Amino acid sequence: MAATMSGRGVAFIRSIGGSLHLRLQVLGGASQQLSCLHTSVSLNEKHWEKNNRKVYPPQLPDEPRRPAEVYHSRRQIKYSKDKMWYLAKMIRGMSIDEAIAQLEFNDKKGAKVMREVLLEAQEMAVKNHNVEYKSNLYVAESFSGKGKYLKRIRYHGRGMFGIMDKVYCHYFVKLVEGLPPKPEERTGFDQAKEYVQGLKNRTIIHSL
Amino acid sequence: MWCFKPERIFPEAAFHFPDNWVKMATSITRTFGSLRIVARRSLKNAEVALNVRHPGPLFLPVRTKKRYFIPPAVGLKGKKEENPEAKARAAGIVFRQQYLERPINIACSAGVFDPYIPPEGDARLSTLSKEGLRQRTEQIRQSAASQLAIRKIKDYDSQFSTKTFAEQAQEIFIEAHNALTHFNKEKLHSLVTERCYPEMTRGNRYKTIRWRFVESLEPPRVVHARCPDMVTKGNLYGQVTVRMHSKQTVAIYDRFGRLMLGSEEQPKDVLEYLVIERHLVNPYSRWRLHGKIVPSWAPPKDPIIKTVAIPGPDLKPWEEFDAFNYEIPKPAAVQWNK
Repeated sequence: MAATMSGRGVAFIRSIGGSLHLRLQVLGGASQQLSCLHTSVSLNEKHWEKNNRKVYPPQLPDEPRRPAEVYHSRRQIKYSKDKMWYLAKMIRGMSIDEAIAQLEFNDKKGAKVMREVLLEAQEMAVKNHNVEYKSNLYVAESFSGKGKYLKRIRYHGRGMFGIMDKVYCHYFVKLVEGLPPKPEERTGFDQAKEYVQGLKNRTIIHSL
Repeated sequence: MWCFKPERIFPEAAFHFPDNWVKMATSITRTFGSLRIVARRSLKNAEVALNVRHPGPLFLPVRTKKRYFIPPAVGLKGKKEENPEAKARAAGIVFRQQYLERPINIACSAGVFDPYIPPEGDARLSTLSKEGLRQRTEQIRQSAASQLAIRKIKDYDSQFSTKTFAEQAQEIFIEAHNALTHFNKEKLHSLVTERCYPEMTRGNRYKTIRWRFVESLEPPRVVHARCPDMVTKGNLYGQVTVRMHSKQTVAIYDRFGRLMLGSEEQPKDVLEYLVIERHLVNPYSRWRLHGKIVPSWAPPKDPIIKTVAIPGPDLKPWEEFDAFNYEIPKPAAVQWNK
């Protein structure tokens, strides 16, 4: 029977065309032969996910190996962005296994959602972004943002009312391959030394 | 709304509303403030004049508290749209007729029909030895079906010849792969059929491919030809298999520029059986790469530069995994079309 190109081929062309723009910027001289077909990007992608489409030029053998970065997010989580911030701040800088373990035993509602997001991101990294070891990742960036709120009426006494917001939030995470960076330890002595140095650096400018 | 107004009966009980009250906090009777003042004055005059009280109606229509903000979702709660379709038609919007159909591609066939089975040990023997000569003499002249197919192709394309076609096929192959490295979609579509295109480009969207054709070790030759007709009799597609032995380098880099497969300096000897296809009935059709045949005796490909976990055996809860005696299952040696 004759072949059906239908969805797959068309989707490929559209998706390849969408990434052509980003590749044009990054690829060197090879991009001269690319046809500049302007094809639209899909409507469901926001800025954070578009970071996953960035392609770097091939590295020379003597360069240090570039660590892989994976961006993932979830939109319109039914939770407050302020409450989500506490969890996001907690896992900043942790290795992914540690972060998943901590979120598993956290009692907050957002912790469950966040754990799912991290697991999804880990799987994506191994499958699509050529990450070798799934534990070799750490959370480089993690933060929450405000989603689109729904508005309702909250009835008060004496015929007065208030507008009640049904809060939603987004959660964004960026995983980077490698060991988590060690936080710089500054002892009191170091701080004191810097303070004294600052005092010693004082001078009068434009003096005689 | 009707309300019981004590101020009308006991005017002394009426209280003033200061001007700087917030709108939302004002009570119900605000709108009638002016009216009430007028009424009171008239009442006072009447009192002075006649000392007669006319008790007004006890119940007056009064507005509800005006909602200065109504959330957009309130109105939509119980609303059921009668018929948006009828409304649209009444408004004059005409929808184009929707065809629920699946697009079928006629320009190429779905696969390789009656694939060529390469003889075992091909390209292992030198051409000059007796075995090699015997293999060479098993040429297409032996296979009658291929001869028939070539004659049919010559009906439609008078300039077709097996000798020149092999060179042409190699050129198509090289150009197609060059277009693949530069991701030149249009050129690739003109050199490669629609069935082969997704197979070539799957997973390569965010990867950089560097491919180089170093040299051809043996001249390419046509080994097989078939002319299947699809759907209706007479809708002929010509499929010709070309055997190619050459040296190529391939290097695939992932999204971050790290080497995933192959190397750029080390060329490899490659023996390939390419299938080139053309829709003969269409006068504007071209010979395009349709697929590759991978024989069952082909050596395994190079592994990728990455540690991959092989899924282990399915164990019952009481079983333990024995790493020493476990044999990694190897794929069956079957010829498959790429």
